[in-house]
Amino acid sequence: MEGDGSDPEPPDAGEDSKSENGENAPIYCICRKPDINCFMIGCDNCNEWFHGDCIRITEKMAKAIREWYCRECREKDPKLEIRYRHKKSRERDGNERDGSEPRDEGGGRKRPVPDPDLQRRAGSGTGVGAMLARGSASPHKSSPQPLVATPSQQQQQQQQIKRSARMCGECEACRRTEDCGHCDFCRDMKKFGGPNKIRQKCRLRQCQLRARLSPVTPSESLPRPRRPLPTQQQPQPSQKLGRIREDEGAVASSAVKEPPEATATPEPLSDEDLPLDPDLYQDFCAGAFDDHGLPWMSDTEESPFLDPALRKRAVKVKHVKRREKKSEKKKEERYKRHRQKQKHKDKWKHPERNDAKDPASLPQCLGPGCVRPAQPSSKYCSDDCGMKLAANRIYEILPQRIQQWQQSPCIAEEHGKKLLERIRREQQSARTRLQEMERRFHELEAIILRAKQQAVREDEESNEGDSDDTDLQIFCVSCGHPINPRVALRHMERCYAKYESQTSFGSMYPTRIEGATRLFCDVYNPQSKTYCKRLQVLCPEHSRDPKVPADEVCGCPLVRDVFELTGDFCRLPKRQCNRHYCWEKLRRAEVDLERVRVWYKLDELFEQERNVRTAMTNRAGLLALMLHQTIQHDPLTTDLRSSADR
Amino acid sequence: MATKESGDAQAQLAPSSSASQSKEVPENPNYALKCTLVGHTEAVSSVKFSPNGEWLASSSADRLIIIWGAYDGKYEKTLYGHNLEISDVAWSSDSSRLVSASDDKTLKLWDARSGKCLKTLEGHSNYVFCCNFNPPSNLIISGSFDETVKIWEVKTGNCLKTLSAHSDPVSAVHFNCSGSLIVSGSYDGLCRIWDAASGQCLKTLVDDGNPPVSFVKFSPNGKYILTATLDNTLKLWDYTRGRCLKTYTGHKNEKYCIFANFSVTGGKWIVSGSEDNLVYIWNLQTKEIVQKLQGHTDVVISAACHPTENLIASAALENDKTIKLWMSNH
Repeated sequence: MEGDGSDPEPPDAGEDSKSENGENAPIYCICRKPDINCFMIGCDNCNEWFHGDCIRITEKMAKAIREWYCRECREKDPKLEIRYRHKKSRERDGNERDGSEPRDEGGGRKRPVPDPDLQRRAGSGTGVGAMLARGSASPHKSSPQPLVATPSQQQQQQQQIKRSARMCGECEACRRTEDCGHCDFCRDMKKFGGPNKIRQKCRLRQCQLRARLSPVTPSESLPRPRRPLPTQQQPQPSQKLGRIREDEGAVASSAVKEPPEATATPEPLSDEDLPLDPDLYQDFCAGAFDDHGLPWMSDTEESPFLDPALRKRAVKVKHVKRREKKSEKKKEERYKRHRQKQKHKDKWKHPERNDAKDPASLPQCLGPGCVRPAQPSSKYCSDDCGMKLAANRIYEILPQRIQQWQQSPCIAEEHGKKLLERIRREQQSARTRLQEMERRFHELEAIILRAKQQAVREDEESNEGDSDDTDLQIFCVSCGHPINPRVALRHMERCYAKYESQTSFGSMYPTRIEGATRLFCDVYNPQSKTYCKRLQVLCPEHSRDPKVPADEVCGCPLVRDVFELTGDFCRLPKRQCNRHYCWEKLRRAEVDLERVRVWYKLDELFEQERNVRTAMTNRAGLLALMLHQTIQHDPLTTDLRSSADR
Repeated sequence: MATKESGDAQAQLAPSSSASQSKEVPENPNYALKCTLVGHTEAVSSVKFSPNGEWLASSSADRLIIIWGAYDGKYEKTLYGHNLEISDVAWSSDSSRLVSASDDKTLKLWDARSGKCLKTLEGHSNYVFCCNFNPPSNLIISGSFDETVKIWEVKTGNCLKTLSAHSDPVSAVHFNCSGSLIVSGSYDGLCRIWDAASGQCLKTLVDDGNPPVSFVKFSPNGKYILTATLDNTLKLWDYTRGRCLKTYTGHKNEKYCIFANFSVTGGKWIVSGSEDNLVYIWNLQTKEIVQKLQGHTDVVISAACHPTENLIASAALENDKTIKLWMSNH
């Protein structure tokens, strides 16, 4: 007793008994459980079914088995042996099984499959077909003699068309034996003198069921946008099949749809379709946009290619995704809002159609008075024709549009003008502020200069001794160490500079402001490829404090009550002065910061002005006037605002 | 010349009741065609007035959004960027931003001033059909053919929530005036109301026969819901009680998702497009058709009402491709 036998019943008793359990499902196998929808194998002697998992036989192994007997039967009757198939006979037997119901006589049976088609598909996907699919695709290859003689030997004489992942073996294309020699794929083959770059089967031999591409009828040598509906068609979507497959499966049911502008199309025409690959579709979508540039430039009204079939066909490609769901009819009516997609498709059909035609059937150039054929992917025969047509259009249409525009005052224009006024005023004030800043800057420099020229007078030293609490300890904010308050400022400045110099702060662009001296540091950092954007006077990274000579005086303007200048200067040597440490740097930074702020403001205002100006030009620019039109029906009421707002 | 008469005070649809309490019966509106805006090369899918009343945005199957001046109908700007047809466009409350929903499965956030696309919101797995801002305009809501409703954050462009709202394409989504509720309508015939903060479904409105719901919207005061169904009917519901209060018929709506609107600037009307090329205006209380605006040559897919003036903008499909501006004295 092997496997997952959980039942105490002896295994023999389980041969044919289908004892009912609570769910009324027939039970099988040594485990006495019902069919759990897994792979099962049947004993050819006792006709009991066993789960593959329970007896440890996989589906793959079972394919190699011709006759299988369960362990119990083998134990009871030593004559029964499991018979395996020969490798070659496996393929032949596999072919025989097409369309046949599971038989009771010899041969290892597998799980009965209700749908012979599914079985066929399953069979080809794995072991049997996989062996054949690679490499050779010739159906002529006859299977060699099997080692075990079977009645199926006679079938050897017939030609067995191989089944594979890409060949069903039954359709017209699969039955063909010779390449046509004319289609694009044949012409690419070495035997027809091609470069062997595409490497695909002849178009006419592409399986109608399983190929990724669609076959073309023999009458057309080039892939044209139309092709007939293949007759044997299984409407079961499978991932292996290309996009067209799904589309076609639903084509028949899409007959209910009625695009608003298509004329009544006959049934066969509506089922035609483009040999589209998903990539091709994407390309065209992208290409269409580039090709036309501005979509409204197309001469849709003038082109003769739009025919209802194209339009109708166009819709289906789009609707592929929705096909799998419930009732199609219900959906089709609802999706009418997207019928406008047709037009979109038409646009990108044009370049494709043109490419496919030979020069004799190219449309006529649209240039005025020109009778030459247009270029393959254009509407004109040459640039000149296009320019002439454009010029004519402008002459015809523009004057009247300009007149229409000027008939009524443009409200947005008025708003724009007001806005410009305001911006200009603000720019003015910003500039005056800037000048003010510059003046302060110069003043400061003068003060600093004068301070430096003072002589040192050591007699102010006594100020140092005034009651500082020297036993208090302040902790530095940057490094956290305790420091004497007297030197605290000095220490903290140095400490801060030390930490700050380790980080970079910059932008990719060097400063280019006219008339501004010394604002940003602008030192180039090659690692981050940026220019340092700290204030130059403050930047700890790129400017070191110059060594202070011993006789240099502090020079800081002294103040009384914080705000009033006494006119006097601190005369202490700079090295010793602890109150006014780094005063020049800080004052300079103050002024510079204000200047930077004003420049930013100016920049912002400039940006706003630019926006308003571009809006004003584009509103009534050439392109805008040519492409859009506002027809005023009531010349008396040009402004639709009620009087209260005016 | 144009004067504003206050409407009657029976149904307080506007959040603030009008100052003058005149009890006159309003006369029927006399909307007349003032401007025709030509410029789209394919069917126009949606028109919306900006909340400040200055602009009119129109989206179209030619993948463009065009902004026109609302008061003079003059062309202002075009926004490019989408790869496929655009189904809907909506303004933010400060009229500085637009969001557009397109068949290329994305939504795009635009800056109306500069015309630049600020963000592209990706995440839907099928055509995005409808979109809206919430009143604070920090969220965008979108409904799609993939049967979900997604809530996006404007600042980052991330999808905050996905509501598996329906079992059929979602045809319309709308926030109420406070931004706390969301209503979504779908082809499966259901109208669902959601809590915006948690994403919980609070209520489902089902009608007999469940015809596909092609449009839903809250009333300006947030108490009622206007639904349009593909059986030529518009209904006004009191959603707290789940009762249909008013039914408006007479127009034709069986195929397209046609926008409908409340007109509250003058008299209280319901405005909707129709598949018989007319714009229908009903009296909100009496349910009678008070005016039918003729002029389009194809299905009128969208009709928008100006926030402060008695203006209606209507747009039609590909046989017509124009937008028409109508003005009334009351």
